[in-house]
Amino acid sequence: MSLNIVNNATCTFCGCVCDDIELHADEERIIEAKKACVLGKAWFLNHTAERLYPEALIDGKEATVDEAVEFAAELLDAATTPLVYGMSNITCEAQREAVGLAERLGGVVDSHTSL
Amino acid sequence: MVLVDIRETKSVKASDIFLQIRPGKDFEVITILRALVKEQPVDESQVQETGLTLEQLQDFVDRMKKAKFGVFFFGMGLSMTRGKHMNSAALLTLAAELNAFTKFVAMPMRGHGNVTGADVIMRWQTGYPFAIQFGRGYPRYNPGEFSTVDLLVRGDVDAALILGADPGATMPQPAIDHLARIPTICLDPKVTHTSRLSRVHITTAATGISAPGTGYRMDEVPLPLRPALKSPYPTDEQVVRRIHEAVLKKPDWLQQGNRMALNQV
Repeated sequence: MSLNIVNNATCTFCGCVCDDIELHADEERIIEAKKACVLGKAWFLNHTAERLYPEALIDGKEATVDEAVEFAAELLDAATTPLVYGMSNITCEAQREAVGLAERLGGVVDSHTSL
Repeated sequence: MVLVDIRETKSVKASDIFLQIRPGKDFEVITILRALVKEQPVDESQVQETGLTLEQLQDFVDRMKKAKFGVFFFGMGLSMTRGKHMNSAALLTLAAELNAFTKFVAMPMRGHGNVTGADVIMRWQTGYPFAIQFGRGYPRYNPGEFSTVDLLVRGDVDAALILGADPGATMPQPAIDHLARIPTICLDPKVTHTSRLSRVHITTAATGISAPGTGYRMDEVPLPLRPALKSPYPTDEQVVRRIHEAVLKKPDWLQQGNRMALNQV
């Protein structure tokens, strides 16, 4: 089993966004997160690359991503004022896409900042 | 370090001065500080309401004016109590006014990883940091009106896309009830409370762990994410782009113009 070492990894658990973490990972999980705090360690060690969840759910039943994307677009397009909310634990690149989507939908876009 | 809170917290040990104010009096304290900064007379009875003495407040103002570079770090204790957004607005105004004397800034304390990035991205794309309505075809900003909890509690939205958040676990019950009533779509690395009340859940790669990209630190420094794992799931970015592309294939409501009237609320 090969061990992958990532130097200066960035932790996105909290707003401090420490960027000096040393991660030791095998194919499936992070085994060690050096220099991370208690919260950061839990964050890195809790997420794995395993397939623990179905790729998508529609009304609680397993579905493909294709079906889920199509149905999501239908629901959002049919709405008068859809809300796009959250945006905190995603990348800036994903945030950019989400704002573009909200604009096209004529909806509302908001983040944890409003709390 | 001056700590302002309604109760003694663990941070008291780290602070030099602790100012314990009465619950719900944040706006009053900040307004009195603003008056003192401008050397305006302050009514003794109004000072008493705050739980502090005039000497304490005057000393605080003197220290702020004497500082070379001051920072207000503020959290949800300010923005989620009586006064809400007006408290944050008052603190930002106080920081702005102190710049007549010295360098002073206000910085919100962030709970989540890239919420600062959300502010930066929304400012870049729309001119506003959060609580933005596109219902008229251009962005409008109004916390309290277009902020999520208010929208959900009033029942003003009729669909929701939730990403990088789990409001089903954290929001007030009336807001959660409305999310369950309307069609909700949830993107998350795990099946969450929100996923369970959603019509659609899509599993995505975990940000910074198996999804690459950029994240902003609390002080608005952008940092590259260095994922250590390869996820079997798509990233949030890929899924949102695909939903956007699917929506783009449908007729544009703004061009049709007929739904415009509905949005003129």
